[in-house]
Amino acid sequence: MVLDTAYRVALRYTRNPDDAADLLQEATLRALKSKDTFVPGSNFRAWFLTIMTRLWWRMAKKIHTEVDVDAGEEPEVYLYQQCRAAGLHPETIDPARTILAKLDADQVSAAIDDLPEDYRAALALNLLENLSYQEIAELLECPIGTVRSRIHRGRNILQRRLWAMVQETP
Amino acid sequence: MSLTAYDCAETIRRLNDYLDRELSPEEVEMVEAHLATCEHCAAEYGFEQVLLGEIKAKMAQATMPEELRARLQAFIAKARD
Repeated sequence: MVLDTAYRVALRYTRNPDDAADLLQEATLRALKSKDTFVPGSNFRAWFLTIMTRLWWRMAKKIHTEVDVDAGEEPEVYLYQQCRAAGLHPETIDPARTILAKLDADQVSAAIDDLPEDYRAALALNLLENLSYQEIAELLECPIGTVRSRIHRGRNILQRRLWAMVQETP
Repeated sequence: MSLTAYDCAETIRRLNDYLDRELSPEEVEMVEAHLATCEHCAAEYGFEQVLLGEIKAKMAQATMPEELRARLQAFIAKARD
């Protein structure tokens, strides 16, 4: 179970199945080598994800950079507004399910993969692992406010991209 | 002491934190008090909640290749020996 969700996170980190497999395999080997550093009773999932995330940074030669994204932090409820404008009213139809049904899993993943790296990482951990903002902040070694900002802005950007994809889908 | 409800703008500003269970109990109470009385914000919240669930479900469809799973299980079994 830990490896299954870790694979999905690795996919979003690397945006490539081969690189995700390499990352997960290397993280597994490192975890097995350093298993004595795991404190019994502590969060195994967070411990493993920390190993994998550090490894990803090293593999990607990642440098922490702040990306200037064209999105505010407050919820824009962009998709909701677009659905209403398109006549998909929540009173008569389930607009969120209706529009997401138009996109397959690969398209949704592609929309996430399009996000700037730091936003993608925070959002992947938030959506796939259901970690708290504090847990994500510890994992990504950044302030909780930064994590909050990346998740909130990331969702705003994601909603715009999903809507653009829905428009392009026949 | 009972708390007052947020208005629409204050509620929407906290929507992501509410969805992610990142609000304090007092803030949750004030958001929920507003959602209980504002049909418009309740609809927006309902939409965002379903949307997040659908996105998570699509992301969860990616499955680990069986060949990779077997390799990892072999590493784990070897380490246990």
